[in-house]
Amino acid sequence: MRDAMTTTSVESVNSLSTRLRSAKVAAVAGLGVLLAGCAQNAAQDTFAPEGENAERIDGLTRLVFSIAGVVGVITFSLIGWTVWRYRDRGQPIPEQSEGRKSLEIGLTILPALILVGVAVPTVQTLSALNKTSDTECVVNVTGQQWWWEFDYPVQPGCLPGGITEPIVTSGQMVIPADTNVLIRGTSRDVIHSFWIPKLNGKRDMVPGRVHTLRMQANQPGIYAGQCAEFCGLSHANMRMEVVALSDAGFQTWVDNQLEAYTPPEEGTLAAEGEQTFIANCSRCHQVNGILDTNGTPIVSRPDTQVYPGAAPNLTNLMTRNTFAGAMWDLIDDQRREEVWEASPEEFDELYLAGVEDEWLNAVRLRAWLRNSPAEKAMYADPTQLEPTDGRYRGMPYLALSEDQIDQLIAYLLERK
Amino acid sequence: MAIIERPADTTTTVAPVEEAAPVTATSSYGYLRRPVESTGWRSWAFTVDHKKIGIMYGVVAMFFFIVGGLEAGLIRLQLAGPEGTVLSADKYNQMFTMHATTMVFLFVMPMAAAFANYFIPLQIGARDVAFPRMNALSFWVFLFGGIFLNTSWFLGGAADGGWFMYAPNSDVPFSPTNGVDFWALGLQITGIASLVGAINLITTVLNMRAPGMSLMKMPIFTWMAFVTQMLLLFAIPVITVALFLLMFQRSYDATFFSVEAGADPLLWQHLFWIFGHPEVYIIVLPSFGIVSEVLPVFSKKPLFGYTFVVFSGAAIGFVGWGVWAHHMFASGLGPVSVAVFSVAPLAIDVIFGGAVLGLFAGMYYWWPKVFGKTLSESWGKWNFWLMIIGMNLTFGPMHIIGLQGQPRRMYQWTENRAGEGFFNLGMWNLVATIGTFVLIVGVALFFINAIWIHRRQPVAPLDPWDARTLEWLTTNPPKPHNFDRTPTVHALDEVFHRKYEDVGEGDSHEYVQRSTLDELVLEEEAQADAHIHLPAPSYWPIVLAFGLPIMAYGVIYTTWLIVLGAAIVVAALFGWALEPADAEDADFDPPAAGGESTSKELANV
Amino acid sequence: MSDIVADAPEAVEDHAADHGDHGGHGAHGGHHTSLGLSNTKLAMWLFLGSECLLFGGLISTYMLYRNRQGSGPSPDQLWDIPFTSASSFVLLMSSLTMVLAVSAAGRKDDRNTNLWLTVTAVLGGLFVAGQVYEFTTFYREGLGYTDSLFASSFYTLTGFHGVHVSIGIIMLLATVGMVAKNRISGDKAETIEMVGLYWHFVDIVWIIIFTLVYLIPA
Repeated sequence: MRDAMTTTSVESVNSLSTRLRSAKVAAVAGLGVLLAGCAQNAAQDTFAPEGENAERIDGLTRLVFSIAGVVGVITFSLIGWTVWRYRDRGQPIPEQSEGRKSLEIGLTILPALILVGVAVPTVQTLSALNKTSDTECVVNVTGQQWWWEFDYPVQPGCLPGGITEPIVTSGQMVIPADTNVLIRGTSRDVIHSFWIPKLNGKRDMVPGRVHTLRMQANQPGIYAGQCAEFCGLSHANMRMEVVALSDAGFQTWVDNQLEAYTPPEEGTLAAEGEQTFIANCSRCHQVNGILDTNGTPIVSRPDTQVYPGAAPNLTNLMTRNTFAGAMWDLIDDQRREEVWEASPEEFDELYLAGVEDEWLNAVRLRAWLRNSPAEKAMYADPTQLEPTDGRYRGMPYLALSEDQIDQLIAYLLERK
Repeated sequence: MAIIERPADTTTTVAPVEEAAPVTATSSYGYLRRPVESTGWRSWAFTVDHKKIGIMYGVVAMFFFIVGGLEAGLIRLQLAGPEGTVLSADKYNQMFTMHATTMVFLFVMPMAAAFANYFIPLQIGARDVAFPRMNALSFWVFLFGGIFLNTSWFLGGAADGGWFMYAPNSDVPFSPTNGVDFWALGLQITGIASLVGAINLITTVLNMRAPGMSLMKMPIFTWMAFVTQMLLLFAIPVITVALFLLMFQRSYDATFFSVEAGADPLLWQHLFWIFGHPEVYIIVLPSFGIVSEVLPVFSKKPLFGYTFVVFSGAAIGFVGWGVWAHHMFASGLGPVSVAVFSVAPLAIDVIFGGAVLGLFAGMYYWWPKVFGKTLSESWGKWNFWLMIIGMNLTFGPMHIIGLQGQPRRMYQWTENRAGEGFFNLGMWNLVATIGTFVLIVGVALFFINAIWIHRRQPVAPLDPWDARTLEWLTTNPPKPHNFDRTPTVHALDEVFHRKYEDVGEGDSHEYVQRSTLDELVLEEEAQADAHIHLPAPSYWPIVLAFGLPIMAYGVIYTTWLIVLGAAIVVAALFGWALEPADAEDADFDPPAAGGESTSKELANV
Repeated sequence: MSDIVADAPEAVEDHAADHGDHGGHGAHGGHHTSLGLSNTKLAMWLFLGSECLLFGGLISTYMLYRNRQGSGPSPDQLWDIPFTSASSFVLLMSSLTMVLAVSAAGRKDDRNTNLWLTVTAVLGGLFVAGQVYEFTTFYREGLGYTDSLFASSFYTLTGFHGVHVSIGIIMLLATVGMVAKNRISGDKAETIEMVGLYWHFVDIVWIIIFTLVYLIPA
């Protein structure tokens, strides 16, 4: 026998259980579409495509969201109306109907049809995204805890004259704009995932396998990205950017990357920095063309120091504007804003200017050189390297003096 | 507890219950007697009563809900602002791994098990499950496994590879502490609990239905819980294989996930998600079942399309096996990559909404059945609204955060990627954190309602909701033997049909109440079966369960513990097999049938 | 609806007619079961169903890694098919003796039940001894557990099977003891049958392993 109190308890238990799934789909879909656009300039906004692939994804997403939103609103409204219309007002027990075949079959077929309808553009989009036969330029991407390496193999594409020598960089992947670039990606340690939201979806970078992804940016500019598969301690800090330059700009960039090494002028701070670099950094960080005292080119052997076997190539560090796995900018806030907000026409020049002393983010860079494990969570405690056979995962503490840091900065500023 | 409305004068005189005779369960091996206590902690530690076990599952599950909730609170505090300092990167990674593992394996699954354990026998008209001692074993194994898993916090750090624990990040060079070992072993142990429970409940549902209860007359909750158990039966072995491979990799230098040796890291993903997809149905189907029970009661109509719903549940069970790779779209399997994957915990919002709120609905609905009182209505409403508002405030922004480019599992976010304007990542992260605390307050209200307000609540009537299904044909709480007379079932929603009769003619319907539930229960009492056999309590389930974490510690620390733990397990198995089938006082001869009750628990009836 | 009440006796009768009494009253404790199959037998079938997935996962892992031998020896260098065939035959025969044990239990012939159970356990033990001999030979020929993916998956798969056989042997011997001391509560014949189910399953798994691992060339 029911108590008098059950009228409201009916509602509470009903609302407890009826509004759940449909409420979420409708509210979130609508909300998502509405408000996701409200954050201006979120660097990794998935609703602001800047390349063909991302545009395809965005089109599909909006379509499916809209359909889901409509379905959600209808469902939610129907439930709301039903709960109100048939609320308990002491009516007699209704007919104990157990169903109606037509309704049951209809309500099964209708969602099925909607899903089939959604499936068609989905499959079309997926096969369009998967196409890699129309790419003209190849970049090999390698993820490693917790930074990204980009290397450009010798190839006839990317430029009118092709790329004649391999280029190895990290942190920022430079590509020609309005060109289909084929990324061939893998990892040196755990599974990472390459994700530049404004240009395309994610692709896992799996050790032992090579996965492909097509990257294309409509216009020159800088596009932020992030590792999208949990990869350990500093997963949150493993970032990268794709930089798209005009064809002329890209040519300039390639030429610059392949320029021969210019040692610092004798007697300058930078010259001392070169020596400090050789003594402290060359073990792991490759700078092409740097010579030791005998005149032999120094080849870094990070595989003896670092568990996954590599460290970022610093030959042209100051031609890019982030460091430490793109965790920080090499440039100060004002310069950053100028570069990131630049129009496509102005972008090439601003980017190719690289990093100058006047807008160097000295505080961050100094902090990094002073004590990198304190700045970025890594496995760099020399007393705890047994699981990795004595090798680091990340950059260790180098106990550099402030003078040494001054020297290094002077030297690094010339790496462009 | 006397909560049946008895007529003032009764023609049936209940024989006064005598003091129970001193009990001696005998056996030829003196140490193998059955436990005899019916009160105190021993009556819980050695119980095989599915109702007590169900309550224990529920209590422990709610405890782990708090643990998981605190872990969530810390996570959200860390993410409330940019570059948070509440948790270090390492601690954060442990926190989100353990939060998810706790919520999935130590809260939602055991909570569903609590309902399944308590209500399946009652809904099908049985006195207990098919294997009562195995039922107890499942619970104790789960409890000890959950405790074992959480001792990792104090023994060098918890697992930090995410609850999905992808290889090779789960391997020793990348996760050098014992955390992942605790995780793998802890899940093996709780996996045993789930597997054993599945065998038990499937056998119960298939074999122990009351006369007349065909499969298509079973209450819908039992159906959904049954499909859940079938999923568990086949999904648990797959993750068992994955966990063994991981254990051998980490503890014995196997190379299953070593890329240098030529391993394929995707092996882990395939094995994990072949388990993982059925797992999400395991999580949500019981709540589907609960909601499908509650709605008809309060709509005063049968479940619309019961047959379709049953077949849908079964279809989910079947089809769910074929879709695991939708958890691997970005893994480089083939030509599929979808941007929506970057949307932050969409799945978790669905789990919370669908599964967790369903479980809370079940608690409020069945509380009077289990404890004899209803929970407070007004506190309940505050509980509900704060939870649903808190839930939407917490998880709703996460969709937006994901769409704005912040991936999951990040211990910090930074200003320079947060976007400009008011509605940027900073704002949404803060809202999500506030939402978490609203949710925590909401949940706290539940505990206040359940623990303190509960005491002041009046004893509830036998049929507070005018219910429809067989579990209500018992006292509140049910007697140890559940039904005085094994019911004969004639229809779906049997209790509704016993209470109401359709006196309409032709197409018109008019439902008239011919009996109240109180009258029906009294009638059952009067027609009680002459002799009711109850399974006797036993020491061995809890003893056996105790050996398992010892073996697990052995894998991590020293082989001698493996030997010790195994010895305990084997000894308990022998004790189990050899103990007497019965204790003398386990049988109950109802007074109404002319017998003398010997069960102490019924002294007040 | 009054017709539902009227249905009651029919429903009960139908139920009885549908499920009959076969298996119901013979089951231990005399419990009637809805399916007509005893609880313990049903439980064993369910357990074996879950074991199919367990071995399925292990076999899949082996099939994935069977060709990744690193620098270690390969199957054609290691396998001694005649020997493994012989030990497979031994295991197959143990299933036969298991059937004889079940049959004896059905006839309530305790003495022969125990005889055949013991023979089954001995044959099982012979099989395990053969496995141990094989593995130590492989090890000496350079197939260490951690040496290659092929090695790890091979040993893990066959090791799990061997553990299952060993547990089966313990179950057989424990059953012998309990039959001898008359400690089996409930239906003795059914308990033996249940052990038999497990034993046959373990045998079938071996047939699959033997075929996939030893007989089909990599």
